[in-house]
Amino acid sequence: MQIIETDQDIQDMARGAVFLGSGGGGDPYVGELYLRRQRAEGRHARVVKAAELPDDAFVVSIAGVGAPTVLVEHLVSTTTLLRLLEASEKFYGRKIDALISAEIGGANSMFPLALGARAGIPVIDGDGMGRAFPHLEMTTFSVYGCPVCPSLLMDDSGNVVQVYATSDRTAEDIVRATCASLGSMIYGAFYPMSGKQAKALAVHDTISHTLEIGRRIRKARESQTDPIGDLLDFLDQPAEHRHARRLFNGRIVDVRHETREGWHWGEALINSGRGEEPEFSIEIQNEYLVARHHGRTVTVVPDLIAVVDAESAEPLTAEMLSYGQRVVVIGYSAAPIMRRPESLKVFGPRMFGINEDFLGVEQLLPAHEHSAP
Amino acid sequence: MSQARASRAGLKLGIDVGGTNTDAVVMAGDTVIASAKRLTTREVGEGVMGVVAAVLESAGVRPGDLSHVMVGTTQFINAFVQRRDLQPVAALRISLPKTDGIPPMVAWPADLIEAVGERHYLIGGGSFYDGKEYAPLDIEAVRKAAQDIARSDVRSIAITSNFAPVRPDIEIEAAKIVASVLPDADITLSSEVGGLGLIDRENAALINASLRELSRQVVSSLKQAFARIGVTAPIYLSQNDGTLVSTDYATRFPIVTCSAGPTNSLRGAAFLTKMQDAIVIDIGGTTSDFGFLVRGFPRETATPHHIGGVRTNFRMPDVLSVALGGGTLVRFQGDGPDAAPRLGPDSVGYQLGERALVFGGSELTTTDIAVRAGQCDIGDRERVRHIDERTTQAVLDAIHRRIEDAIDQMKTNSKPVPVVLVGGGHVLISRELRGVSQVHRPQHAEVANAVGAAIALVSGRVDKIYDFAALGREAALAQARREARESALAAGAEPDSIEVVDVVELPMTHMKTGAVQVKVRAVGRLVDAA
Repeated sequence: MQIIETDQDIQDMARGAVFLGSGGGGDPYVGELYLRRQRAEGRHARVVKAAELPDDAFVVSIAGVGAPTVLVEHLVSTTTLLRLLEASEKFYGRKIDALISAEIGGANSMFPLALGARAGIPVIDGDGMGRAFPHLEMTTFSVYGCPVCPSLLMDDSGNVVQVYATSDRTAEDIVRATCASLGSMIYGAFYPMSGKQAKALAVHDTISHTLEIGRRIRKARESQTDPIGDLLDFLDQPAEHRHARRLFNGRIVDVRHETREGWHWGEALINSGRGEEPEFSIEIQNEYLVARHHGRTVTVVPDLIAVVDAESAEPLTAEMLSYGQRVVVIGYSAAPIMRRPESLKVFGPRMFGINEDFLGVEQLLPAHEHSAP
Repeated sequence: MSQARASRAGLKLGIDVGGTNTDAVVMAGDTVIASAKRLTTREVGEGVMGVVAAVLESAGVRPGDLSHVMVGTTQFINAFVQRRDLQPVAALRISLPKTDGIPPMVAWPADLIEAVGERHYLIGGGSFYDGKEYAPLDIEAVRKAAQDIARSDVRSIAITSNFAPVRPDIEIEAAKIVASVLPDADITLSSEVGGLGLIDRENAALINASLRELSRQVVSSLKQAFARIGVTAPIYLSQNDGTLVSTDYATRFPIVTCSAGPTNSLRGAAFLTKMQDAIVIDIGGTTSDFGFLVRGFPRETATPHHIGGVRTNFRMPDVLSVALGGGTLVRFQGDGPDAAPRLGPDSVGYQLGERALVFGGSELTTTDIAVRAGQCDIGDRERVRHIDERTTQAVLDAIHRRIEDAIDQMKTNSKPVPVVLVGGGHVLISRELRGVSQVHRPQHAEVANAVGAAIALVSGRVDKIYDFAALGREAALAQARREARESALAAGAEPDSIEVVDVVELPMTHMKTGAVQVKVRAVGRLVDAA
């Protein structure tokens, strides 16, 4: 069991959550402030490994669903979350023994921790994807046997929606439509599961990972060593099935935004300054999905792509990218469970309209060969 | 501007009240006639009177001949950062049932809370992103909050409501109620100082609220100073985007003047060199500030930033500050002829005249090296003759490298970019700079900030969400442009000089198709005094 004790830890975790968010997940600042507020009032989040839970424990995922641009106005209501917790226990007919994050990338890494701190419920060190994704059916829970529903949705005004759906894709559509009808920001309880399921289906240790990544970046910055080199050394652990590559180092020369069918499409073009033609591109659909160097794919979803500030190694969400920024792009392997064939059927490249098969970053860029200096 | 208007343009006095120096210029049309520099005084008016008397004499101009006076100052941001002269504030947030998980002032630095308190009230009411209310304004709660404030010593209140940029009327209504209970209180509405993002906008409103009393004192001090000298022209203050506001506006919104200093340096540099796109480096005594000019205006920061430890989103120019200036202390790592020079980060600042070698002091500064290298002729050259050539060149290498690195950071592509050097410390630069097409050192470079104040325009802005699906994109943009122009007019712009200079469209992700955040800025020339 680990207790999140300091504001420093919380800030490190938020930084790490942006890194793992692969461009998405929204600005974690709201989640970070919420968790800091709990700590300031003497309520600390407790994090447990899934293995520590009994098989018959009851675990639920609490998440915010909505537009990042609405999240920064509507923030979060403790009244609503506590109401959601209480209503969920009635709805599921069981006391909730632990919470789990559905999505470690971005703000949704912080909400279960803050609610757990407030209500005295431990949070499992893990989540449903090890990154951020836009749809509810894109979790390891969903792929490997724990459906999204029955779910409970709530807004701050007392509206409650119980969702039963015949498929997780349909659940996603229903939840999204409900969200849109209630002002584009709601909170919900999803993926009711047993302790046994949590052990089998979660991407483990991701909360610890956000802390480690965030702390590592900060410490390297403070001691004035190269924060990016240090981070890559830390992340690249082939024996633990973790592969990291420095994909590119350059300046953003174009950032295009477009909304198509309600989703944010974008493309970031990056040059190392040695030519006029953009050398490196990242296709963005809420998250960074595919990185290409001179047209050759070097990292593709579900593997993670992180864009960090070249000086400070501070990770950047897609909304934060702008013309002229000096950045380093890092490719980082997704957890092994995310790369299995069943997983790729749900969130592999072709599910995002990318016409290629998945290849891991370590296959696209073997260890002795890096994409660019 | 028509010829008739141009000839009536008159004489302008531009002043920059900095942390160390107060600079002034007198301009006739587009020409700088005279300039002067004095030390800034604790009570701002004194230093101003001194520098104004000096520059008017130098220009041969009578106080009564001036048509406009423009003042740029860093007083307010310095006060906030140093927690000096701030007044206690109260936050009124109209947002319930939303946002109760994160009340106002969460994560504020302890010393700031000590300076301004943390009184806050959460009130029922607020808007969705589309402008519809999710709860009616709880009028009774506003009244009770105001009465509670009345029993305290707080008389400056910041009102923030959910999605205020889309529904500013909710804040306005609440303000009326507060004013009815506290007619003498200062009220800041978040919709008037910040954009989308509740915490950042609320913080901007609170920062503003903490500076209201100080702004009245500073403006009053300035007005008295000018009156004593016999200046009768209207007085304007510079705001962050390089345009002007009236003294009345500045006392209501001191926050908009917070980064006028760097902005004026950038704009002054642009004006003096007639460059519209360049990197401007203002080398002062302690720091070098790098800014990027785009179409004559400073590039603004894209992301939320921190001021005095508080995250906020009011617009600021994108300025990179490097700890290298004319007073920067030079030390060496290691011994002998190959010892590597270490520049600063500390500086003797305004004590250059006592502590630098050339002035009889005992500390080696970058200015001493510049004198040794023959790049400037101040103080006593004999006092630095002992410094050997190799050491001198090594320090100059380090100086230029630091400047080149910063230039590289500011650039947006690999093309060589023109650089304008302003500030007294420009003498440190003697070589070609990597990545730079040409270095410009305009005349009057040392008072570029005062020039920037003098040439400023007035502006109006709009930052709202428009429904493109309902209005149609062209109609929505036309409406936004119209509102920006009206805003510029209200600020005092000459109607036929108003131009829309910037239109930014940001499609709202995850929201229903058609919701677009639109930001428009319009600028125009100040209406001439008769």
